Amino acid sequence: MRNLLNFLKKFGNILLFVLLEAIAVYLMASRPNYHNIKLSKALNATSAFVHEKVNRATDYFSLVDINEQLLKENRELRNAMQRIYSNSEISTFSVTDSIYRQQYIYILARAVNNSVNKQKNYITLNKGILNGVRENMAVIGPDGIVGIIIEAGSNYSIAMSALNLDFRLSARLSKNGYFGSLTWDGKDINCLNLNEIPHHVNLATGDTVETTGYSAVFPEGIMVGTVSEFEVSGGDFYTVKVKLSTQFKKLNNVYLVVNLNKEEQQELESDIR
Amino acid sequence: MLNTILKYTGLFILLIALQILLMNNIQFSGFVNPYIYILFILLLPFDTSSWLLLLLSFITGLIIDLTSGTLGLHVAATVFAGFLRPYVLNLISPREGYEKGELPGIQTYGFRWFITYILIIVAFHHIALFYLEVFRFEYFFRTLIRVILSTGFTVLFVIIIQVIFIRR
Repeated sequence: MRNLLNFLKKFGNILLFVLLEAIAVYLMASRPNYHNIKLSKALNATSAFVHEKVNRATDYFSLVDINEQLLKENRELRNAMQRIYSNSEISTFSVTDSIYRQQYIYILARAVNNSVNKQKNYITLNKGILNGVRENMAVIGPDGIVGIIIEAGSNYSIAMSALNLDFRLSARLSKNGYFGSLTWDGKDINCLNLNEIPHHVNLATGDTVETTGYSAVFPEGIMVGTVSEFEVSGGDFYTVKVKLSTQFKKLNNVYLVVNLNKEEQQELESDIR
Repeated sequence: MLNTILKYTGLFILLIALQILLMNNIQFSGFVNPYIYILFILLLPFDTSSWLLLLLSFITGLIIDLTSGTLGLHVAATVFAGFLRPYVLNLISPREGYEKGELPGIQTYGFRWFITYILIIVAFHHIALFYLEVFRFEYFFRTLIRVILSTGFTVLFVIIIQVIFIRR
């Protein structure tokens, strides 16, 4: 018994240290389902609440920018509307049930907490399960892609920012449709890398890069950015630097994309796998 | 005793609030992320027992983790720093040893002693933190630069806070 006590006296701290570090490693490893832990959920909601209050106060400084963004978006929408109406005047046009035609629903949300200074950045949004948010929904801004929802609480949700080393997205050149995978290398918060573009593809700086919609997460044709530079990397592929159209530092209003056909697509795809 | 506990609770809340509301919002090219909450562990009295140090490190790390959505990351780094603290203190102890009941600070053993002390522990804390965050060797040197720059800024902020807030 005394030996045991002596041992504990001598090595107790090291044992405690190892134990606490083991807990830390366990917590890190269980990251994907940590919303099961009630405590963390409650604290997350509290910190999101605090962040929202702070955000509301600092929001006034960026009102001018947001207004401009909204005006620009309104202009685009008006133009789109013009095209639709003028088309329907020319051809006969039967109205079909919108449930079968509409593929996407957009939910408006606000980024209440956002970081760009880490290697793995996340964005907290003020809409949750109660507002229809689910995991793996696309997050887009007025100017282009923003991220993907990875966790949804009842009133808040957390999105993985495109500025995250784990972020993957399939994207293509809009002029000729060649697609590759989009990743972030952690260096520049204004640039993503588009990999696996074949060598023979005709590229120029300023070309538009957009989403492909292959994954059923992002709608097709959402703006990613423009080609800023490209170089041949190991073999037959280009590594293309894409200048992001979304300003992550000024992120405010975003849309969450609900894909109504997603389950059907994924079911079909899982059948043949 | 109660007075000390109250004082440290106040310090704890102040540092956590500063960290979450101010430091986490510093966005300077992604290379500078000061983590000043570690100052709480640094400022505990010299005669704090090691197990208490470890437990307090764990709690501090956990709270930072829960508010920034990185569960386990800050816990691991802070517990590591808390574990190292007694050894570092031993290493740089003044010739006559530490006086009982004294608190680490600029006033206690001078500026040079204080800066050596915080520099060593903050550096180890940041090394653990940034390498665990990235968790791959691919970006070894870039992470190293982030560690060095962030350590510099954390030490700078720690000294500023020490000078402004904590004079008794």
